[in-house]
Amino acid sequence: MTQWVRYTLPAAAIVSIASPAYAMQYLSIEEAQKHAFPSATHFTEVQAGRIWKAEAGGHVAGFFIFDRVIGKHLYIDYAVALTPSGAVHAVEILQYRESYGGEIRSPSWLAQFVGKTSGSSLKINGDIRNIAGATLSSTHVTEGVKRVLVAYGNRLR
Amino acid sequence: MATASDKVRRAKPMLGTFVEIELAGAAKSEMNATIDAAFEAVACVHRLMSFHERDSDVSRLNRDACLQPVGVHAWTFEVLEAAVEMHQRSNGIFDVAVAPILQAMGLLPNLRGDAPIGGNARAFDAIELMDGQTVRFRHADVRIDLGGIAKGFAVDRAIEVLRGSGATSGLVNAGGDLAVFGQEPQTAHIRHPRDPRGLICSVEVTGEALASTARRFDPFHAARTMDSAIIDPGNRKPAQGIEGATVRAHSCMIADALTKIVMIAGTDATGLLEHYHASALLVAADGDVLITPDWQHAVHLAA
Repeated sequence: MTQWVRYTLPAAAIVSIASPAYAMQYLSIEEAQKHAFPSATHFTEVQAGRIWKAEAGGHVAGFFIFDRVIGKHLYIDYAVALTPSGAVHAVEILQYRESYGGEIRSPSWLAQFVGKTSGSSLKINGDIRNIAGATLSSTHVTEGVKRVLVAYGNRLR
Repeated sequence: MATASDKVRRAKPMLGTFVEIELAGAAKSEMNATIDAAFEAVACVHRLMSFHERDSDVSRLNRDACLQPVGVHAWTFEVLEAAVEMHQRSNGIFDVAVAPILQAMGLLPNLRGDAPIGGNARAFDAIELMDGQTVRFRHADVRIDLGGIAKGFAVDRAIEVLRGSGATSGLVNAGGDLAVFGQEPQTAHIRHPRDPRGLICSVEVTGEALASTARRFDPFHAARTMDSAIIDPGNRKPAQGIEGATVRAHSCMIADALTKIVMIAGTDATGLLEHYHASALLVAADGDVLITPDWQHAVHLAA
């Protein structure tokens, strides 16, 4: 029977591959808007940088809401598209961020991201594009979508 | 003619995790439509095989299959066929009928009307696959959960949609279980099973699938790992001894299921890995990394 090959990793090696952060940019807000409402002719900002009304030929096609939840330690940006009657039409992740390494244990390191927008000075390891291994839960985004629905589902009509 | 920059990568919260789909080498609008169809295939697998949704095939089986044969969707039948074969080939190590134990541990909810199932609930070969895509359970107290195989199957269905399009390469990553197609190798970094904030190695994958399993952790609440959600059917307790396993195979469903076997059987899983033309990497309890010899060339350990 084939022998498995055994490697002993020094503990430090595990951290050394880790970069401060991993980030993946998916669709931009504009791309996600167009994708959610392909028939829309224009998007009117209802609340700056957060809520847009999609209109097509004089009638409301739906609403587009940008939101952000805290993921593992850093923000995940996502968007919820609502139908004119306030039901979820689509959910799209716009930017996903994750941090690695020992620094994240320190509150001062984390503090530098508080209040930062998506263009923050995060050091990103661009070589990391695909992460495999233990599954991360999307619970916080799911809860965020529910909050968006409660907050705006009835109000935006 | 499409250029290299014609690449679309999108992500949605699905299957309880983040599902990423990337496509390259075709017109953007076309790729977006293909990606929509691939996400829809994942959503369909979820609707059919969710333990939590009342109208899923899995819920209908868990309610009625001990009383009478239950008809299921072709995809559910296909997953059950693979699960039953894996169960038999692994002498019961792979078992989708451990749901009652997961329920007792609080890892799966007790659904309305579920009677608690006693400790002797487990039986070898509890699922009978019948003609006409119908399924019957051989015992009154069988309850299945396809969590250990359906995510890989969902990735396979999504990559099938991508392959059928005019694009040249693509990737589906369902929270760590992934499959790729195209000529160029893609690199995937694997989280360290003991400390999910660290990456243990990178792996090159070309036209194949990669699935991983680790001792359960919840990165939103605690950084430390907890007991495994993989149940050893032999002693009906969480698997011990192996920290994490990654398996490379032609299909993500097979890779997904094999990770559960490697978590329980460790290096004894060699025969099964060979049968399915799969390779594996495992992190042992002492922190050592073990790799099947056919896979060394593609795995780059952190150094």
